[in-house]
Order: sequence, then structure tokens, then C-alpha cells
Amino acid sequence: MMKVRIKVKGIVQGVGFRPFVYRIAKKNNLKGFVKNMGNYVEIVVEGKKEDIENFIKDLKNKKPPLSRIDKLDIEEINDNLSFDDFYIIKSEDSREEEEGTIPADVAICDDCLKEMFDKNDRRYRYPFTACTTCGPRFTIVEKLPYDRENTSMRDFPLCEKCLEEYKNPLDRRFHAQATCCPVCGPKVFLSDGKEVIAEKDEAIKEAVKLLEEGKILAIKGIGGTHLACKVSENEPVLNLRKRLGRPTQPFAVMSKRDYVDLFAEVDEDERNMLLSLRRPIVVLKKSENYDKYFSKYVSNLDTIGVMLPYSGLHYLLFDKEIAYVMTSANLPGLPMVKDNDEILKKLDGIADYFLLHNRRIVNRCDDSVVKKVANRLVFLRRSRGFAPEPIKVDVENDKNILCVGAELNSTACIVKKNKFYLTQYIGNTSKYETFCYLRDAINNILRLTNTNKIDAVVCDLHPQFNSTKLAEELADKFGAEIFRVQHHFAHAYSLLGDNNYFDDAVVLSLDGVGYGLDGNIWGGEVLLFKDGKIERVGHLEEQYQLGGDLATKYPLRMLLSILYKAIGEEAFDFIKKYNFFSEKELALLKFQLEKKLNCPITTSTGRVLDAVSALLGICFEKTYDGEPSIRLEPEANKFKGNMEIEPKIKNNILDTTELIYKSYEMLLNDESKEKIAYFAHIYIADGLFEIAKKMADRTGINAVGITGGVSYNRIITERVMNNAKREGFDFIYHNRVPNGDGGICFGQGIAYILKNRAEPYG
Amino acid sequence: MKITRMHGAGGKVMQELIKDVILKNLEITSVNGGIGLESLDDSSTIPIGDKEIVFTVDGHTVKPIFFPGGDIGRLAVSGTVNDLAVMGAKPLALSLSLIIPEGFNLEDLEKIIKSINETCKEAEVAIITGDTKVSDGVDDIIISTAGVGVVDRGKAIRDCNVQEGDAIIVSGNIGEHGLAILLSREGFDFETNIKSDVAPVNKMIERVLEEGIEIHAMKDLTRGGLADALNEMAEKSNIGITIFEDKIPISDEVQSICDILGLDPLTIANEGKVVIAVKKEDAERCLDILREHPLGKNAEIIGYATKEHKGVVMETIVGRRIVDMPIGDPIPRVC
Ligand SMILES: [Fe+3]
Ligand SMILES: [Mg+2]
Ligand SMILES: [Zn+2]
Ligand SMILES: [Zn+2]
Repeated sequence: MMKVRIKVKGIVQGVGFRPFVYRIAKKNNLKGFVKNMGNYVEIVVEGKKEDIENFIKDLKNKKPPLSRIDKLDIEEINDNLSFDDFYIIKSEDSREEEEGTIPADVAICDDCLKEMFDKNDRRYRYPFTACTTCGPRFTIVEKLPYDRENTSMRDFPLCEKCLEEYKNPLDRRFHAQATCCPVCGPKVFLSDGKEVIAEKDEAIKEAVKLLEEGKILAIKGIGGTHLACKVSENEPVLNLRKRLGRPTQPFAVMSKRDYVDLFAEVDEDERNMLLSLRRPIVVLKKSENYDKYFSKYVSNLDTIGVMLPYSGLHYLLFDKEIAYVMTSANLPGLPMVKDNDEILKKLDGIADYFLLHNRRIVNRCDDSVVKKVANRLVFLRRSRGFAPEPIKVDVENDKNILCVGAELNSTACIVKKNKFYLTQYIGNTSKYETFCYLRDAINNILRLTNTNKIDAVVCDLHPQFNSTKLAEELADKFGAEIFRVQHHFAHAYSLLGDNNYFDDAVVLSLDGVGYGLDGNIWGGEVLLFKDGKIERVGHLEEQYQLGGDLATKYPLRMLLSILYKAIGEEAFDFIKKYNFFSEKELALLKFQLEKKLNCPITTSTGRVLDAVSALLGICFEKTYDGEPSIRLEPEANKFKGNMEIEPKIKNNILDTTELIYKSYEMLLNDESKEKIAYFAHIYIADGLFEIAKKMADRTGINAVGITGGVSYNRIITERVMNNAKREGFDFIYHNRVPNGDGGICFGQGIAYILKNRAEPYG
Repeated sequence: MKITRMHGAGGKVMQELIKDVILKNLEITSVNGGIGLESLDDSSTIPIGDKEIVFTVDGHTVKPIFFPGGDIGRLAVSGTVNDLAVMGAKPLALSLSLIIPEGFNLEDLEKIIKSINETCKEAEVAIITGDTKVSDGVDDIIISTAGVGVVDRGKAIRDCNVQEGDAIIVSGNIGEHGLAILLSREGFDFETNIKSDVAPVNKMIERVLEEGIEIHAMKDLTRGGLADALNEMAEKSNIGITIFEDKIPISDEVQSICDILGLDPLTIANEGKVVIAVKKEDAERCLDILREHPLGKNAEIIGYATKEHKGVVMETIVGRRIVDMPIGDPIPRVC
């Protein structure tokens, strides 16, 4: 006989781990106990040496699908205590300050679905059906350990039948914290904004009818609220656009799995991701038949964001329709609404009806979004289904590092050892409400990782970001060091950390805006990563951003500014033809441009693409982040054929005035818009690659990478990839961390660990 | 490190310079327990008997020296008088120190002195001492004025005493001085009615005080505009200020030019406006008194002080925005 104590770390809570341990202990004739310690699981087993060995084998090889073992500590113990059976012991709070993990939310499993659609089952059509391996996790948890009393399920004491299942180690709902049934669990109801008009199953049936009639419904789900309407008719979609103040931003849709192929092209990776239990939105190419099923107002791009149902309630919404618009219920820039009062109040006048339920959403969590670029699925947004699962990096670190990110598409992260715990998607923290959300999400991730000590707080270099102010405040509170990292350096670090690639490399860091070391606005940067340090070795030509942020909102300003540089006064006559600015505005703009009033200098890639988008008449006003350049890409996609060009480069600076001038000339010569759009993309890709290649060759480097918001652009990224491969370089690209500013916090953490300090104010 | 334009632009960079380089190296900064330099209030005080002498100094350079709505002379008097007035003091006398570049036009100098005289009469203050230097080391005329006023002991109004629930009042349209200077400096030759608001506001404030309005804190709006003044008051008072965008008085013309140039009117300089934190119950009465005075005819209650947040938050039709301490020139931040 022998006795051992096993400590298991990793994702071992809320994934059916303890019942699994119980089963394999019984199978191997062992006695002892398993206990949830808040951030790890402790097992003590007693029995024959051979049985214990088999038990440990089973532990490693047969673990539940959602669990992950990061570390197993095994020690033999010698005491005289012996056990009469194997037990699951109630959770205990661990005093040790070590990382624990709350698992991410999981889509409803096939077993639960089967019950839900079985007329004879007691959970028939019950939308909150869940078991040990499925259902909400992160979104309902208040604190560690992940036990029912620490989640919003504590508002729903188990009925007798549910309790029986919950207590039976051999039941698939044994210790399922989110389990419930129609008798004891949460209930749905339908409101018209004033009063409840239907309850329970009636509410769902009525909601389906209303959706089919073309009404707009607010639907409270797992981590937040969606606004839903049918996709097949213009009117509901247009109504939703008008009421939300989102004239053009593509809406995501939810569709049943069998229908997706009707309207979208899906490859194997995309299909696996669509079907995965994490259930993100996957951005797919529209298929030929798309227009048969969808109003043209759902998405004006050549892609459509699709997700499959992930909660029981979603499955019950599908009857006649093949898909619904399912967009986050938030006003632009503000956090998604999640509490019933708030939903009714803030969506008054936006939704016609409200399908709500009485379970509290503790942690808001937006849908994640992925897209396939350069043969990889990359995150546009990493949130529900992924947060707060840590990302592991091969670095050594013994500090607790809090990274607050940038400002748009914000996320924050806490780094402990080599694990990076990113928060869910936060959004635009220049808005007060979203800024408060960032603060809450940070407190939450600290609580969920049991973190009481912070050694360093890392932030962006931009002096006006609210996150920078929060960083100063938090550094003060924790007595921590404050560390500022230049934005595009952070993007590059994020790329390297994402790939565990710490050899020398040249990285293209391309996006819309970031505060540079010289006090100018950067965004088209060629960075050299050598010996752990980053240096800016090339970039796009400096241009004037006419009116500062206004030039981002109105891309014709950017066009005017660059064209003025190329052709002088004539640029004004040309811009006049767009009939966008009044005489008075043009006169003022001329004055502004001549005097360089509020004309900050920028090397942004986004601004140059914006200018081309405006030139081609594709977009004159940005209504969501990146709109002009995002809408330029489908135009370029229409171009079939090859194009070889010679970008103008001087002193490692890519001449963008030439790009704009050539595009302008092509337009005057009646070249097709698709050709001009394509030209602009490859001018940037080839030009920047050429600079990168020169640097790499000079320094003997054999890897080239691309990161930043612009790297979501397929044409640019794939062109750089193909160039790199042709020239024999390794190509580095994202897959675990968002390319855009949602990955900045991660890069900030890597930067701190590599001790690369950017000096404020240059 | 070299001093840059940003260091003189008001706002964060300038504040850091003052704290880290100037205040840090001066040891004696107050007298008789009065308000001292370290408070960085609009003026300082020296208690004597049952009164306090209120004292301040301000150097003025401006390009161009003659601008729509005023000139450097009017500015030199108003700036100093206003710093005394917002302490709740009665301004009495000014000093006048001129540094004149070689080659300066004599007629221009005379025009400036006459303007100083007119403004002093308006404010009812005397110039009682002065100094004149001619220098080949300056590009343009520099006028420094120190001012002395008096207030009853313990009655000086600070900028650090905003209290929860206080109404926040601004005495008129914002952004006019800064925009007028900018446009005339750059040779803006379009028809516009934008004029500097430069004026001494002491008479208007005296009216409010005479009526027994309970003012908790007061500041004049200068460089950095309303955003700077409100942030400073909130920070020093350790309280939050919520303002409403649609309540902020601003002329259509200033608004439309700001909209086209991409400037935030909240951060543009003023030289004849004050912001007042007043006891909630007195707010409407204070507003009426201000509006009776020609300089206060556009006064508005723009918000209130709150403990719900720190700093300055503005309610807009598209949600709440954090109003920053301006840092000089605006820096793009939108992606
Ligand atoms: Fe970025
Ligand atoms: Mg002052
Ligand atoms: Zn299940
Ligand atoms: Zn039950």
C-alpha cells in the first residue's frame, strides 16, 4: 500500500474534473479524496502502487475534453491516516497566491441538446440546460473557486431532482455548477418594453413569431445582449441600422450549421472553428448564392461574419429563418448592455421587443471574432469562449505585470510567470463608460487570478490615452513601477510573443494611429528586432493629417493633404468635384493646410488607404473603426491578374505621395477602380517589404513578420507573405493574440519582460 | 532637455515644468501663513491685521500685439486684474514693466499705453509703479504686470474648494480669445466676427459677492481654456465635475470654425471669462446677477460637482466623454 498527494494545475475547474477523478479513482480501486483548492485541485489517493500508476496515467490521458493540465505535482506521503472510500470534498480557499483559472464559456453540448429536443425529457425546450462539460462559466462567476455559490446560479437553489444529479458522482451533471431545470432554474420572459407579455416557452415561441414578422428583438444571452432581426428583408435590417446609428458597419449573423454553406464559402479550418465549443463569429467569404438569402444591407463587404447558436435559447429561435442578424446591443463605443433594467432603458426605441431572463450576467463578454488570413485564423476580437484562458509564452518571468493596453479595441492583461491572462474585449476607452468597464475588468481579472501584488504597470506612450492615466493610478495604488511602451513596438512584441519567436526579425507594424517616439503619429513602421531590442529602421513618408482626428473621420481631408503635396493648388479644384465640402469649408481647409494649423505629422498606413478609398468614391465618412480602408479591400479583390510595380523608396522611406499621385493619374486616365485599389495595396505591401528585405539582408536576418490592424487586410498580408517566402524568409504572423490593438496589452507584457524601455517624449 | 513650445502652452507639460523645476528649487514660498506659491492658485496672499493683501504677477507676450477685440495692453491689465478678482479680492493697483525690442514702433507703443489706461479705468485700478527696458534680445514687446488687491482675512476664494453638489457656472462664451488670436496671427482673411473676449471681470464679480452668493471656488479661464480650469479645480478639490455639452455657452461661429479645423473649443484660451463653483441653492441667483452684467450675458450653469468620479466628465449625445487636461497641441488618437 502507498499514498500520494497530487496537485493539478491548469484548467481543472468547471470542466467536470473532480467527477472524472472520482470515476478513475473508483475504477482503479483507490481510496482518498479530491478537493478543489480554488486555483488548483488536490488529490490524495491510497492503494496499490500499480493502481496508483494507472490512476496517474488515466489522469493524463483520459481527462475531460475542456480541461487542460499545465502542471502535476506528485509527492508520496507517509501518515497513518487511512480512508474508507473515495470522496469529493467541498472547495476550500487556497491561501497560496498562485494562478488559478476560470474556464471560458462553452457552447451547449450535444448531450444536452438531445435532452432539450426530447419531448419526454424533463428539460424539453428548456433553454438553460447545461451539464458538467457545457454552459456558461466566466460570464457567471463572481470569484474563485468556481462553485455554484460563487456564481449567479446561486440565485437558483437546486430542486430535488437536480440536486440528486448534482450529488451523484456518476451522473454527467455531478457538480455541474450551471445545472438547473424548468422547476428550479432561470426563466425567460418577453417584454414589449412596458410589461411582460409572455413567459417561459410561450415567450420563446412568441419571440420567434415576432422575428419572422420582421421585428427587432433584444435577446439577453450568455455574456450580454444581442439585437436580432431577420436577414432576408431590407426593412428590419435598415430599421436596425437607423436606430443604432450604424449606417454601414457589417452585422454578424447567427445561422444553423446546415445552412451556412448556402450563403458562405467555408473551408475546413473555418468549419472546425464555427463548430468548436468556443463558437466565435467567423468571417467568411460570401458565396454566389448569398444574395438569394440576405438583404444587401446586412454586409456591404464581400464577407459575412457568421456564428452558430451557442446557448439553448439560440437553438430555440430557429424555425423558418435560416439566419438572424445578431449584433451586440451597444451604442457605438459603449459597452454592451447586460442587466435587465439597463437593457429595457438603453434599448428603448431600438428594440421592438425584449426576450430576457432572470439570470444575472456577472461578467460581460462580447462574441469573439476570427478571420482566415494568410492561411491562419486570426482574432479580430478575442473574448467569449477564450477569455480568461491564459496564453503561455516561452519566457522567463517572476514579476506580476499588469498591462492596460491602448485605447481602441482595448483589452488588458495580467502576466504571471509565463502566463498572460487577457481580459475579455473592452472597447473604446475614450468613452467614460467603457473606461469604467476597463477598470472593472482589470479588478476582475486580478480577482480571478488571485493577484494581490503588482510589480509593474505597463501602458502606451500616448500622453492622452485614458488607459495611461489609469496605469498611473494603479501603479500608485500597488506601489508598482510604471513602464511605457511605444505602440508599434508593442504590436511587434505581441507578434513575437504570439509565435514564441525571439530570434532577430524584421517586423512590419502597420495600423491607423500610435504615438511615436518623435511625438508624431506612426502607423507604417519597419521595425528591426535585434538582440531583444527594437529599432525603427524605415517607415511610410510623413504626411500631414489635416485637422488631426477629423482627417480620420473624413478621409477626403487626407486625400487633399497628400494630393496638395503632389500637385499643389489643383488639388482643391479636384476635391471640389466630390461635392463634399462647401466653398467656405474648402477655403478654411486651404488656410489650414497652408498654415499647417492642427496638421499633425503621420506615417499611418490606415490614413493612406483611407485617402485611396476616398479618391475612388468608396467612403467619405468613417462610421466605424477602419471603415474606409476596410471597404477598399473588396474593391481591390475584384481585380484579377498580376501587377508588377516599382514603389518609390528613399532612405528607407516609402513615398506615399507617389502612391496617391499615381492613383489619381490612373483615375484621370479612366483606369478601373478595382485596379487602382489593388495597386494601392500592393504598392504598400511591396514597398514596405522591400525596405524590410534590405534591412534583413544587411543584418543577416531571415524572418519577416507583419502585425497591427492593417495586417487583417488579406491582400497586403498575403502579398508580404508571398514576397517573404519567395525570398526565402520565414514569415511570422499571428494566431493566438489579436493583430490589432486588442493585442497591445500582450505586447506590452512581452516588452516589459524583455526590458525594452521606450523613453517618453522621445 | 530643452524648453519647447509645449512647456509654455498651459496644461500638463507646463504643470510638470513648474512643479519639477521651479517649485522644487524654491524654499521660502509663503508669508504669515497666507496662500503661497506652492498652491499655484491665481494669486497669493499676505495676511495683515484683519485683511489679506492679494498679490499676483503675469508676463504677457502675444502675437499679433493688436488683434480683433483687443491688444497686448488690454491683455496685460485684464490678465492680472482677473487673477486678483477670482480670489474674491478688490484689485487696487498694478505695476507695469515693459521690455521693448529695438526698432519697435513708437506709435504702437503709445497705442498700447493708451489701451492700458482705458482698461485700468474700466477696472478701476491704478498703475502705481513701472519699469522700462529696451532690449535687442527679444523679438517683440513683453509686458509684465504685478497686481495688488485686498480681501477680508480668511475670505479669499480658492480654486481648491469645490464641494459636492456645487453648481458649476461659466460666465460666458468660450474659445473666443484663443481663436481670434490664432486666426489673426495666421492672416485669416475671411469675414468673421470672432473677437477676443479680453476684459477685466472684477466689477462683475464684485456684484456677485455683494449679493452674498456663496462661492466655493473660482478661476479665470486662460490658456488651456475651460478644460484646463475645470481639471485643475477638480484635481485640487479632490472631486469630480460633470458638465453637459449642450449647456456650454459657445457662439455658432466659434463652434463652426473649430469643427472645420478640428479644434476642441474646451481647450481654447479665454481672457475675460471665469468659472465659478457655487452652492447649489445660490446657483440661479448667481446666474441672474452675472447675466445682468454685459460681460456675463451668456453665463450658464454647465454642470455640477460630484463624488461619483474623479476628473472632468462631459455628457454628450453619444455618451460620456472624459475631458482631459489639455497638453498643448491636440494629438490624434482615433484609429
Ligand atoms: Fe495599433
Ligand atoms: Mg489665473
Ligand atoms: Zn451539456
Ligand atoms: Zn431542478
